[in-house]
Amino acid sequence: MSGKNAREERRQERLREEGETAGRERRERLVKLGSATAFLAIVVVAVLIVIGQSGSDGGDAGNIVGAAEVRAELDGIPQRGLTLGEESAAVTLVEFGDLQCPACKGFAEGIVPEVIASKVRSGEAKIEFRNFTIIGEESVTAGAAAVAAGQQGRGWNFIELFYRNQGIEASGYVTDEFLTEVARGAGVPDIARWNVDRRDRAGSLREVQRSSEEAERLGLTGTPSFAVFGPESDGVEVLGTPGSAGALEEAIEAAA
Amino acid sequence: MKAPAEGTLRAIATFVATLGLAVAAYIAIAEADGGAAACLAGGGGCETVAASSHSELAGVSVALLGVLGYLLLLGAALLRGDGARMAGFGLGLVGFAYSVYLTYLELFVIEAICQWCVVSAVLMTVLFGLNAIRMVNYVGRPA
Repeated sequence: MSGKNAREERRQERLREEGETAGRERRERLVKLGSATAFLAIVVVAVLIVIGQSGSDGGDAGNIVGAAEVRAELDGIPQRGLTLGEESAAVTLVEFGDLQCPACKGFAEGIVPEVIASKVRSGEAKIEFRNFTIIGEESVTAGAAAVAAGQQGRGWNFIELFYRNQGIEASGYVTDEFLTEVARGAGVPDIARWNVDRRDRAGSLREVQRSSEEAERLGLTGTPSFAVFGPESDGVEVLGTPGSAGALEEAIEAAA
Repeated sequence: MKAPAEGTLRAIATFVATLGLAVAAYIAIAEADGGAAACLAGGGGCETVAASSHSELAGVSVALLGVLGYLLLLGAALLRGDGARMAGFGLGLVGFAYSVYLTYLELFVIEAICQWCVVSAVLMTVLFGLNAIRMVNYVGRPA
């Protein structure tokens, strides 16, 4: 009887030891696998962050680029305020944009020049830029500077040149120095007057606020957003953000 | 404290990942035509975040990456075994850590809060917690 008990005790002891070994091995495996997975996850996140931070190298007041390109794009096309094109053009295309918005920069460097070349230069349409300042205070400062440049007939040069030199939004690059260099590159003739005008609360700053409020009234939710009006349009038709110059050209033709 | 049954953890993770997938898909669709998700509380935070350069990663919408992440987490929740347990933990950690980074960007760089992004960050945090509990308690055990 006692021999049987002793065997049973040894069996239980052996099972306990095996269980402990299995538990220890499982814990060791868990630590190794968990550590490797956590390390891999952290590497992935670090790579995502690095990719996200690389990119824009604009916003440098000491290195304003693209002035000649902008001059060539707009050369010979009349400007009044922030409107580009013949005053008599039947159709008006309105762009609601934020000078700090990267998507607007993409449009300014791709789609908008195509429309200017095909529809504005020919006199079929004029294009009007209205500030829709959704990113922050620096957007208002930049927008008012564009309005002030427009008062000297260089609004579109300012806008196009700003976009070509745009930095990372809300990073503090929209300084007096940066704006002044953009204004010089845009060919604003009287920088001293422009400096006064861009700070005018009842003038350019009020205009930026007014156009942003108008965009909100139209129900726009992002930038750039476009609208068109002409003899055949049903009042102001909101186009949203068309994906191609062709879509904007079709909207202009439909409104003419 | 006794851990919840793995089946319960997987069921909750499936539900949360599906919710996250819906939120990320909504943001991605709203931003696809240059717009933004509608911030129910107003204030324009969603528009500001959508217009930010941080809403894209090497030209790919962050919301689309979110859709992909939630799909993978959904797959990990639906599958059994150690592979799914470890994948769920790894993906959950990536999603959680990246959500922390994105929330930091919203608060201190973009200076605007998109409530849908906050919802997604909370869902990612819950998924990370569920997957961590699942891994610690069930890796090495039969599926």
